[in-house]
Amino acid sequence: MSTLTAGEIVARIKSNLGFPWRDATYRDTFKFGGPDTVVKGIATTMFCSYDAIRRAHIAGCNMIIPHEDTYWSDRDDVSIVSGDPAYKLKVDFMREHDIVVFRIHDHMHAQKPDFTWVGLARALGLDSKLETAPQSHRFTLPETTLGELATRIQKRFAEQGINDKAIRVVGDPGTKVSRLQLGVGYASPAINDPNVDVVVSGEQQETDGFLDSPEYVLDAATLGIAKGWIMLGHNVSEEQGMQEMAEWIKKFTPEIPVQLVRSGEPFWVPK
Amino acid sequence: MMARPIGGGITAQEVVDRIKKSIGVEWKPETVDGFKAGDPTTVITGIATTSLATLSVLDRAVKAGANLIITCEPTFYSRADLPTPPARRGFGPGAAQSNQPATPPPPDPVFSGKDEFIKKHNLVVFRLSDHWRLRTPDPFAPGLADMLGWSKFAGTGDPKHVEIPETSLDALVAHVKTSLKARGGMRIVGNPQQRIRKVAFLPGSTPIQASIETLPGVDAIVAGEMREWETVEYVRDTVALGGKKSLILVGRVVSEDPGMHACAQWLETIVPEAKSMSISAGDPYWRPTA
Repeated sequence: MSTLTAGEIVARIKSNLGFPWRDATYRDTFKFGGPDTVVKGIATTMFCSYDAIRRAHIAGCNMIIPHEDTYWSDRDDVSIVSGDPAYKLKVDFMREHDIVVFRIHDHMHAQKPDFTWVGLARALGLDSKLETAPQSHRFTLPETTLGELATRIQKRFAEQGINDKAIRVVGDPGTKVSRLQLGVGYASPAINDPNVDVVVSGEQQETDGFLDSPEYVLDAATLGIAKGWIMLGHNVSEEQGMQEMAEWIKKFTPEIPVQLVRSGEPFWVPK
Repeated sequence: MMARPIGGGITAQEVVDRIKKSIGVEWKPETVDGFKAGDPTTVITGIATTSLATLSVLDRAVKAGANLIITCEPTFYSRADLPTPPARRGFGPGAAQSNQPATPPPPDPVFSGKDEFIKKHNLVVFRLSDHWRLRTPDPFAPGLADMLGWSKFAGTGDPKHVEIPETSLDALVAHVKTSLKARGGMRIVGNPQQRIRKVAFLPGSTPIQASIETLPGVDAIVAGEMREWETVEYVRDTVALGGKKSLILVGRVVSEDPGMHACAQWLETIVPEAKSMSISAGDPYWRPTA
């Protein structure tokens, strides 16, 4: 039986990154447990949800490597939530089952390549041959309509067992689109780039931001300018790359099993 | 074409002066509220309120004879709310502090198309968000309650809370969807069979702190927009850990529409010379039916 500890695994992550660890990160730290825990198995996940932790535990994993927060704020500020019953139950479960949580966010996005983009492009079937330049995340597709593209994306996810029923689209469904700009997470690219017809991304605030894409696309449609905006949801947009993250970690932790445990789509939608 | 003044020929500036005098809160020195387009000395022909002054809303306002638009959210696609596109953000360390001026952005046909429409129709656009929200009570929650037909269920306490006849989350979602004319923007967390009596409203965009404060006291929150790594995961965890709770997100713009409808009704009382109406921006989203 392996005696590999969480601290040793984090050390291997740091030494395999290919660039120095940035100690200033508040994100990429232990969120529960610490370096001394002996690890039986590793589960990567997107959101460190209670249900993902529970399923990881059932699958024999006691180290969780999530991309996002554990305690419902980016800084995992426990002072906001420590009085809440769900916080207490979540922490109790982790303590009882010897769980250790280490987040990988900033360093994942700094990696070359950044697996979040790799995973999403793979899941969407966006071939790198269609990419305008390496790491541009911009793809030239055979011309289609916004409506057809959105339907195709949702079907493609469904074929892989990925629920993206809460996908949201802005724009005229009949608009012709070809130049697709991919985005992940909350860093949705601006839709007003003249070389972009459609942005496919995760999450973005609706208004009062740097560029409010929904209103921009609505007005573009009124003016007859071809623009479309497809929001997949934060989880779906970045979860796919946690598969690549699991495969990467597996290469330097051969002693123990590593797998993706999906947090999955949080939403359902009305008929 | 100049619009015909009606009544005493009140200007947009005079309307705004009355808003500031009557709104019941001190006007803040730093605020997003203010004129965003047009000449404040324009004599108004009618007032249209909206949660989001899209081109479609502006067009409907023109057709209804209104030339003063009071909007809750930006007109020019950003918090900066200027009729020219924002300069690209700098990259790399120190970019934000750099003295180098940002590269001027190329002309943008959507920005200029909207700006031209506003000029052509002699429209004046005023943003009213911060101060409308600061009123007591904040009109956005009662506005939503009213739109859902629930004003009669509001108690004497917190106007954000209502206690409705018991229903299921599933039935509640259907009612909200119909009442708010939602298209594809609604997203739900929770068990569809969950029983619901106590509902709280969190319109607009709210942080995790508001949800932590609100959720324990209610069965469901009906909200505008919340960060997916904050409240959405908090409610998902609460439900997975046995909490009988749910979250209905309707979208920021849709959630603010009823509060801006209430604003039009209020404007009728302080600007009796002019016709005030509300124009809905609608649900921006749709989703494929695959």
